[in-house]
Amino acid sequence: MKQLTIEAFKAMIQTALAQVKAREDEFSALDAVIGDGDHGTAIVTALGAVVKAGGNGTEFKAMLNDMGFGVMLETSGSTSTLLGAFFLGMSDHAAGTALDAAGVKAMFAGGLANVRKQTQAKKGDKTMMDALIPAVEAMQESASDDVGELLSAAAAAATHGAAETVGMKANFGRARNYGERSVGYADSGAASWSCMFNAFAEAAKE
Amino acid sequence: MSTVKTKFINDPEQITAELLEGYVLCYPDKVKLAGENIVVRANPKAEDKVAIVTLGGSGHEPALSGFVGEGMLDCSVVGDIFAAPGAQRLFQALQLMKREAGILLVVLNHSGDVMSANMACQLAERAGINVKQLVTHDDISAGIGAPAADRRGLAGCVPLFKVLGAAAEEGKSLDELLEIGKRFTDKVATLAVATGVCTHPQNNALISDLPKGIMEIGMGQHGEGGGGQKPLVSADETATEMVDLLCQQLKPAAGSKLMLIINGTGATTQMEHNIIFRKAYRELEARGLQVVSSRIQEILTVQEQAGFQMLIAVLDDDHILYLNDKKADAPYWTTIGK
Repeated sequence: MKQLTIEAFKAMIQTALAQVKAREDEFSALDAVIGDGDHGTAIVTALGAVVKAGGNGTEFKAMLNDMGFGVMLETSGSTSTLLGAFFLGMSDHAAGTALDAAGVKAMFAGGLANVRKQTQAKKGDKTMMDALIPAVEAMQESASDDVGELLSAAAAAATHGAAETVGMKANFGRARNYGERSVGYADSGAASWSCMFNAFAEAAKE
Repeated sequence: MSTVKTKFINDPEQITAELLEGYVLCYPDKVKLAGENIVVRANPKAEDKVAIVTLGGSGHEPALSGFVGEGMLDCSVVGDIFAAPGAQRLFQALQLMKREAGILLVVLNHSGDVMSANMACQLAERAGINVKQLVTHDDISAGIGAPAADRRGLAGCVPLFKVLGAAAEEGKSLDELLEIGKRFTDKVATLAVATGVCTHPQNNALISDLPKGIMEIGMGQHGEGGGGQKPLVSADETATEMVDLLCQQLKPAAGSKLMLIINGTGATTQMEHNIIFRKAYRELEARGLQVVSSRIQEILTVQEQAGFQMLIAVLDDDHILYLNDKKADAPYWTTIGK
C-alpha cells in the first residue's frame, strides 16, 4: 500500500476498537495489579469516542481533529487525555485525503510529540509510552515506502515494547507506590496500545 | 458504610445542582449560573480585562464558587462531590469567558483537576482561546521541600484568587497576572490537621479512618492520609508544631510580613479556631515575623471533617496591596478596600 486513504485509516481505527474490545477484560485485569482496574473499559470507551467522532471525516486534518475533540469531550481520565492528545498531534501533521509513507511517518511522529507534552513518562517507566515510543521510532527508522510495511514495523516494535514492561517496575504516577508488586505483569496501557498498533497493521494488510 | 441518614439532602445525585441553585438564589446580585454547574459573576467585569477561572469538585463549600465576584473569580466550574468537572464542561466555560485579554485558569493540584484542565486547554488553544494555567500546590504534607508536583492544592487558592482578581481588575495582562500569581504560590504553605473524618454525602461511606481522640497532621481534602497520626494534643502544642513546619517550608526572613489564615474544614468550632489562631500569631510574633493580613473562616471545607488548615504566606508589597487595599465583593470574601 503506497497511499493511506481516509477510508483505510477509518478501517484501521475500527479494527483497533474491535480488537481492544475483545481483550478488554485482560487490560482491566492488568490494571488491577497496581491501579483502578478500569483500563480495559477506559480504552474501549475512548476508542469508541474516536470512531464515533471521525465517522464522517473526508479529510485527514479535520477528521483527526474531530477524533481528538471527540475523545476529550465525551470521556475523561488519563487514558482519554493521552489518546486525545495523540489524535490532536496527528492532526497537526497530516492533511489531505491520502498520505504516502512520508506523510504517515510525519502524522504518527506528530501524535507522539503531542502525547509527550501531556506526560513526563519515559521509556522504561512501565507505561503506554513503552509501546508508543518504539512503535513510532520503528516507523521513522524504516526505509520502506510502503505504508503497510511501516505499520507492520510499528506493530512489531510495540509488541516487543509491551512485552518488556513485564520485567519492569512501575516508576510513574500513582503506580510508582506499588513498584515491586507490578513486576511480572505487563503494563495495561502498553498492552492496549500495542494491541492498537497490531490492529492498524492487520487492517492495512486487508 | 452506614445506612443511617445524617445529612439534610434529597436525591444524592442532585446534591451539586441543588446546592448551586440555593447559592445563586441567595446572592442574586453577585452570582448566577451560566450553564450546568458553571457559576459566573452577576455583573461581569469589562471584556478588556483578563478573566480568572477555576475548577473543582463540590462538597467543599463555600469553595470554590463562594469566591466568584468583583475583585476575585469571574467563573467557577464545578464537578460532582469531590470530583473534578469533565473537560467538556470546562471547555464550555472557557468558551463563555473567551476574550482577547485572555483567561487565567487556576488549577488546584489534584490529578483529576489537572487532567481536565490539560484537556480543556488543549481544546481551547485549538479553538483560538487565549488561556494559561496556574497550578497551586500549597500543601506541605508531602514533606518539607517536596517537589511541587507532589504537593496538593489546599486553601492557598483562595487568597490567590483575591490577589489575582484585584490585579486583573487593575488591568494587568495575562503574563503579568501569571507572574504575580507564581510569586504568591511560591510563598504560600498550608498544612491540614484532622481529628475526625467525614462521610461521602452521596453514599454515606467514611472517606478515611481516624479513631476518636487521634489527630492526623497532613490529612488532605478528601481524607487522604498525611502519615502523622497521634493522640490529640492541646491547641497550643498543635499550633506550635504546625507553625514550625510551615516556617521550615517557607523560611521567612526576619521581619517578613505574613498572611495567616485558619480555615475550618467543617466540624471544628470557631472557638477552637480562635484559640489556634492566637497561638499561631504569638508564635510567629516570637519568631520576629509580622502578621499583616489574617482571617479565621471556613473557606474550604471537607463536609463534617473535624480539624482545620493553617495557611501562612510570605507577602511582598504587591500582594499586601491586592489583599488589603483593593475591593473584593464575593459572597464569601469581602474586602472594603481603599
